[in-house]
Amino acid sequence: MTVPMPAPTPTPPIQTDALTLMAGDHALVDRATLRVEAGEVVAVTGGAGSGKSLLLRALAGLPLPGIDVAGNARVDGRRLLIAQGGVLAPRRPLGAQAAEILGHHLGLDAGGSLRRLSDALDRLGVPAAARRLDLPPDRLPDGLRWTALFALALAVGPAVLMADAPGAGLDPTVRLRLLHRLAEWARGEAVALILAGRPEDGVAGPATRALALHRGRLLPAVPHAAVAFHRGPAAVPPGGPLLTGRGVTVSFPLGRTAKGEERRLTVVHPVDLDLAEGETVALLGETGSGKAMLARALAHLPAPTEGRVAWKGRALESGDATGMRRTRRDLQVLFPDPAAALDPAQTVGAQLAETLESLRPDIPADRRARRVADALETAGLPAQTAQRWPVSLSAAEAARAGLARALLPEPRALVCDEPAASLSAEERSAFLDDLLAVRDRHRLSLLLATEQAEEGLRNADRALVLLMGRVVESAPAETLRHGARHPLTRAMLAAARGGSPRLEGEAPSALALRDGCPLRTRCPNERPFCAQAVPTLEEIAPGHRVACHYWDTP
Amino acid sequence: MMTLFTGSEGRPGGRGAAAVAVLAGLALACAVAPLMADGAVVRRHDADPLVAALLDGRGSLSFALFAGLLGGALGVGWGVLATALGRRAERRLMSTATRLTALPLVLLVPLAAGLLGGGVGILALTVALAVAPAIAGLTHAELNALMRREFLTAARAAGLSEGAILRRHLIPNARRPLLAAGALALPRALAAESFAGLLGLGLPAPLGSWGASAGLAARLGDPVALAAPALLLAVSLWALCAFADSLRPGHPRP
Ligand code: SF4
Repeated sequence: MTVPMPAPTPTPPIQTDALTLMAGDHALVDRATLRVEAGEVVAVTGGAGSGKSLLLRALAGLPLPGIDVAGNARVDGRRLLIAQGGVLAPRRPLGAQAAEILGHHLGLDAGGSLRRLSDALDRLGVPAAARRLDLPPDRLPDGLRWTALFALALAVGPAVLMADAPGAGLDPTVRLRLLHRLAEWARGEAVALILAGRPEDGVAGPATRALALHRGRLLPAVPHAAVAFHRGPAAVPPGGPLLTGRGVTVSFPLGRTAKGEERRLTVVHPVDLDLAEGETVALLGETGSGKAMLARALAHLPAPTEGRVAWKGRALESGDATGMRRTRRDLQVLFPDPAAALDPAQTVGAQLAETLESLRPDIPADRRARRVADALETAGLPAQTAQRWPVSLSAAEAARAGLARALLPEPRALVCDEPAASLSAEERSAFLDDLLAVRDRHRLSLLLATEQAEEGLRNADRALVLLMGRVVESAPAETLRHGARHPLTRAMLAAARGGSPRLEGEAPSALALRDGCPLRTRCPNERPFCAQAVPTLEEIAPGHRVACHYWDTP
Repeated sequence: MMTLFTGSEGRPGGRGAAAVAVLAGLALACAVAPLMADGAVVRRHDADPLVAALLDGRGSLSFALFAGLLGGALGVGWGVLATALGRRAERRLMSTATRLTALPLVLLVPLAAGLLGGGVGILALTVALAVAPAIAGLTHAELNALMRREFLTAARAAGLSEGAILRRHLIPNARRPLLAAGALALPRALAAESFAGLLGLGLPAPLGSWGASAGLAARLGDPVALAAPALLLAVSLWALCAFADSLRPGHPRP
C-alpha cells in the first residue's frame, strides 16, 4: 500500500516494551514490543485464542483477572476499545446511547451529542436518509449497526482507538469498505488505530503495518495471500458436460395476498449453468445472494421450484428413486457446516457405511469397512476415525469426514457449498488444498460456492457471480481476476485483496427489492435508467457475460 | 478469544444426577415413612410433621407420576401427530395447543374436582388434559428443529429413501428430546395437583397430599406443619424439572 508512514515521534501514543501477559506460568503474550504513532493504522492478526483480545484489553487498561502483567505499556491520551461483537446495548435507541456516552466523555448535552454523532456518520458515508437514531441497535441491519458503533467511537474523539474483530459477521465487501473509512479517519485525525482480527478477516488491508500474534509472539505478518494455498484450476482441459441446469429457479411460498393470489419469494431467478467433466466452476456471491440455494437445487436437495437439471443429459426426476440414486452416486455434496451434517446418534463409520450401502449396492457388505477406511485416509483422517462419534470431532475433522463420505461412492462431481466456512484460516487452506488434490487425482468436476472471490477464482476454470438470485457476471476465472466488469465483482475482488470496495451500504433484503438493478442502492455507477429495467446478461466478449447497463463505465 | 467454553453454569450431567438422587431418596423416604411412624395404624395428626409430610408424599408423588405420564403421553402424541399429518392439520392442531397453553388451565383441576366430585380418575384426567397442550407445543418445537437439521439433508444426498431416513436418523434423534418434553409433564402435574390441594379440592380424603396438608396448615395458622410439606414440594418440583432438563440432548458445541 502506498500510504505515507507518519514520522516517528519521541513519544508515540502507544508504546510497549516487552509486555508479557502470563496466566499462571504460561505466557499468553510474550515480550510484545509495539509502537504505534499518531495517525498510524496497525493490524494485529492471529487465530482464535492467540491472545489478541487480551493484548487489546491490556493496552486499554482494562482489568485482566487471573493474568500477571510484566514489562511496560504506555498509552497516552483518551483511549477507546471496541470489544468483540460491539458494545452497544441492543435494545436502547441509538440516539439515547450516544447522548449518554458522549455526555460522559465530552460533557455534551443531548442535542450536541446527536450533532456530533451525525457528523461522524457523515464521515463514514452514511447518507442522512439511512440514519435511524431513534431505533435500538438490534433493529438496525448489521452493517449499519457496526457503522453506528464506529461513528460513536469517532465522535468521542479518542487519541487511541482499538477495535477487536471489527465488523465480524459482515460481508467482506461491507466490512472492508467500513474499515478503510475508519483508517482514513484515523490518518486524517492523527489517531493511533489498532485493528485486530483473524488473518482471513482482511484487517490488514487498510492498515499501514500488519503484525501477527503467533504463539504469544508479536511479529510482522506474512501477507495472507502468500500463506493461502495456491493450486489453480485443474490442469486437464474440461471435457463434455456432466451437469446442466436450465432455468433453475428457487422460490418459497409467502402465503396469499388479499385477492387469493399466491405470493412467492424468489431467491434464485432462472439460472442456466453447465458443469463440464473435470471442470471447476465457482459460484461467487455475498451472503443471501442465493449461491447456496442454487448449488443445492442443482443437487436436488431440494429440487428447484422450476427449471430442469440434467446429469449426463438425463433429466433428474424426484419421483424416480432409482434414477435419483444413480445420479447421487455420481454427484455428491459437501455441506457448509460439516459437523451438523453428521448424525450425532451414529458413529462416523456407521454413517459412511450406510452411504456406501445405499449408493454402491454392488460392493459386498464385507468389503465396506475397508472402503470406509480408505476413504477416511484419502480425506486425511486416520482409519480409526470410523469408531468415533461426531461430537468428538473438531471442525476440521468433521469437514474431512464429510469429504470422506462424499468420496466414498466414487463420484464424478462434487457440489461444495462453502465447505470450509467453519474452519480457521490454516485449516481452511489445508482442507481446500486436499480437496483440490483429490479433484486433480480423480478428475472430478467441482461446483464451488463461496464468498471468498479471490480464493474461488484462483481455483476455478470459470465463475458465476450472483447477486440476489441473479447471475450478474460470468466468465473464465482468469478474465474475471483481471478484467471484471460488474461493480459487484470488482467490489468483491477489492475486498478480497484488502482494498476498499466501491459499494455503499449493505444488500437490501430480498423482500424490499423493487424494480431495476438490485445493486442500484449501492452502486457507484448508478444512473436513473438503472431503476427502470433489470439488466440482462449480455455477452461483451467471447465467454464473458455481464448484466449491467453501464458495464463499460470504468 | 474471550468467549471460552468454560464457566457455563454447572455440568448438566451433574445436575441431572443430583436430581435423580434427590427423587430416589424422596421416593424411598415416602415409601418407608409408615415404618417411621410409631404403631401400625398411623394417626396422621399427631405424627411428627416431617413423617406426616413424607406420608403425604406417597399420594403426591404417585399421583404426579400417574397423571404426569398420562399428560406427557397425550402431549407428545399430540405434537407428533401434528408434525406427521402435514401442513393443514399441523397448523390447526398447533394453533389449538398454543391457544390452550395461554389459558390458565390449572384452574380446571379444582373446578372439575369440585363439580364432578373429585375421584382420583377424574382428577388425573383433568390434570393430564391441563398439562398436555404445553407439552404438545414443546414436542412440536423440538420436532420442527430436528427436521431442519442438516444431517437429514446429508442422508438424502446419500440416496436414502424417506422411510429409511425416518427409521435410521429421525427416530433415533427424536427419542431423547421427546422424552425430555414428556418428562416436563411430571412437575407440571405435581404443581397442578398441589394447587388444587391447597384449595382443598385435590386428592380425595384418605390419600394425603402436600398441597392439601399445606393448605390445611395455612388455614389453621400452623407454620411448623406448613413448612415440611411446602419444603418437600419445592424440592420435588426442582428435582423433577432438573431431571427433565437433563434428558435433553446437549446441543453440539461449535
Ligand atoms: S445496472 Fe446500474 S446500478 Fe446496476 S450495476 Fe450496472 S450501473 Fe450499477
